[in-house]
Amino acid sequence: MQRYPRWPIHLALMLAGFVMLVPFYWVLKTSVSGENIYAYPPSIVPRGAHLFYYVDVWYSIPFARYFLNSVAVSAIAVAGNVVFNAMAGYALSHGFRGKDVVLLLFLSCMMVPFQATIIPAYLITGRLGLLDSWLGLALPQCSTIICIFVFKASFDAVPRSLIDAARIDGLSEWRIIWHIMMPLSKAAIATNVILAFIWSWNNFLWPLIMTRSADMQTLPLGLARFLSYQEDTTGALYAFCIMVLAPGLLLFLLAQKEFIRGLTSGATKG
Amino acid sequence: MAIAVEAARPRGKALVRHRTRRALLLWCFLAPSLAIFLLYRIIPVVWNLVLSFQYWSPLAEAEPAGLDHYEDLLTDDVFWQALWNTLIVIASAPIGIAIALVLALLVNADIRGRDVYRTIIFLSYPLMTVAVAIIWRWMFDERVGLINYVARSLDLIDKPIPFLNSFTWALPSVIVANIWQILGFYMIILLTGLQNIPHELHEAAAIDGAGALHRFWRITLPLLKPSLFLAFVIGMLNSITSFDLVYVMTGGGPGRATEILVTYIYKLAFVQTKFDAAAAVTMVFFVLLLGTAWLANRLAGGNVGAAETE
Amino acid sequence: MSWRSILLNRFVLVPGAIVVAVVLWNVYVATHNNGIVTGRVVDAAGHPVADATVGLWIFNFTTYEEKERVKTDADGVFRFTNNPSHKIQISAEKPGVGRSQRLPVFLYFRSQDTELAKPLRLAGAG
Repeated sequence: MQRYPRWPIHLALMLAGFVMLVPFYWVLKTSVSGENIYAYPPSIVPRGAHLFYYVDVWYSIPFARYFLNSVAVSAIAVAGNVVFNAMAGYALSHGFRGKDVVLLLFLSCMMVPFQATIIPAYLITGRLGLLDSWLGLALPQCSTIICIFVFKASFDAVPRSLIDAARIDGLSEWRIIWHIMMPLSKAAIATNVILAFIWSWNNFLWPLIMTRSADMQTLPLGLARFLSYQEDTTGALYAFCIMVLAPGLLLFLLAQKEFIRGLTSGATKG
Repeated sequence: MAIAVEAARPRGKALVRHRTRRALLLWCFLAPSLAIFLLYRIIPVVWNLVLSFQYWSPLAEAEPAGLDHYEDLLTDDVFWQALWNTLIVIASAPIGIAIALVLALLVNADIRGRDVYRTIIFLSYPLMTVAVAIIWRWMFDERVGLINYVARSLDLIDKPIPFLNSFTWALPSVIVANIWQILGFYMIILLTGLQNIPHELHEAAAIDGAGALHRFWRITLPLLKPSLFLAFVIGMLNSITSFDLVYVMTGGGPGRATEILVTYIYKLAFVQTKFDAAAAVTMVFFVLLLGTAWLANRLAGGNVGAAETE
Repeated sequence: MSWRSILLNRFVLVPGAIVVAVVLWNVYVATHNNGIVTGRVVDAAGHPVADATVGLWIFNFTTYEEKERVKTDADGVFRFTNNPSHKIQISAEKPGVGRSQRLPVFLYFRSQDTELAKPLRLAGAG
């Protein structure tokens, strides 16, 4: 193997890391000191750091309500994803008549992005009477094809002898899923949970279209509204940004491996 | 064990009944997911198609419109501007992929702390796009933005550039923010592809005297084609649907300089309540998406595995 | 799985720590939100001023509005007991000694009990 100096690589990567991290640092700095909203030239280290913008955000906007809405919708979406995708993945790991049609259907659904369906999705949700409700917000996100294939791949890896033995013992198919397949698929469950949570937590367009009343809005919506009311004249906006980014960042740092595995495995046909 | 399984297998008519019951049960398991996709993916596409050929509003009955909406699009300046902007955004995906390829090659090298670098570069992807848009909107700000400050400190420009308010700089600024956010995702995909290239190939070529650049062109790049194709499709999907970023950063402005098809669809449908015209634009958008994916498939040399991200 | 491995699992540890922190914070807030604001008033020379009028201004959407006035006692100490807000200003005046500037006070939660670190200085006659 050729020997080559390592330090240029480190330098280049550190530069890239710096470029990726500078926006974070900048926002964090402004959220604790309120500079750089009017001041020029900007300072590198925050002068007079304080946490009172965060207090402002908590009291002057219904942050708790937005947070609750986001959490509720994400919880429903995650629960729906885990249950429905496991069922679908289990069904797909068996052979049955019409399986190919179903697979083709799923794969073709992957090519339909959400943005191409907003008008009918809105009209359908309206007809179902689910506008402005947590269920309506969560329903389109309650099943995703990538996650179905993640489960399918995981279930395919379970030895058939185990399933056959369970069937002989009289377990129904339903109980086979929950008592045998799922405990062996912890990684798939984790991937499902994380992907579903992140996608539903960050979703902006669907709540924008769907919510009518101010107290059903989710965090991304609240953030955008805050921007349009206050413009960027206050450090509270950036404190809001940080408060909104924190859960996503925390979850990502906790569950990096599962997140990356889900994205890369789901990106190839199950 | 096998004997017990054999003995318990149903035979003859019982087998058929058992199989049918099992198939029915499996369909029941598929039902919820199928229902959701039917309701929110398949029916909407069909509905959009039908709607684009009608005159319809929430208060009135539907009337056939033939190709009227599509004809209107041909003379609609905003539509053409949005289409052009969307094409530019799609064309910017390879830039991001190229940068990510360099990063992936660097991270793939045998250095300490590559996981840390990987995490740092990927950090921007799981974030809320609205927050990212706000951050970059402010970084590009004319008076206090960091970009202007750095450029002026380095003496690249004399006066601050109003990035988000200028007709020439607005769309590139949005593209920069988009690339910043998705760079990590590209890198992860390319990294996975790189790690699937067997080491022995490189070693054998090195022994045969091939230089690093030569090895890159002849071994790495061809074997990376599936990953590159995947990254491009994902990048294309991501950029063509980047409603959040455009809406929060510029709102489509100044004028219509950053209007893309998705924001135009949103404004037509939910601000001007012209659902039927918006449906026509949606069909064009959908066809563009499928066309680009098909084109990329052809360029990558045939059927290279379907891929998607929501 | 043993109890230990469940507890030390990062998916339990981190959310658990967050929940504990939130609970502790709420307990702290609940025991310290009586709305008490105290401080001292001194004159330009640093001597405590008795019987000065101290006003409490409360932030109301865009401006501060005066809500309450109390008088300082013999040691120049004043005490409000009904502060409902997290963003207030305090000002003091005494005819003949001077008036102070409006001092903004930022609190971490509504009605946080607080004691001003620096006394309000009265300056200028009148």
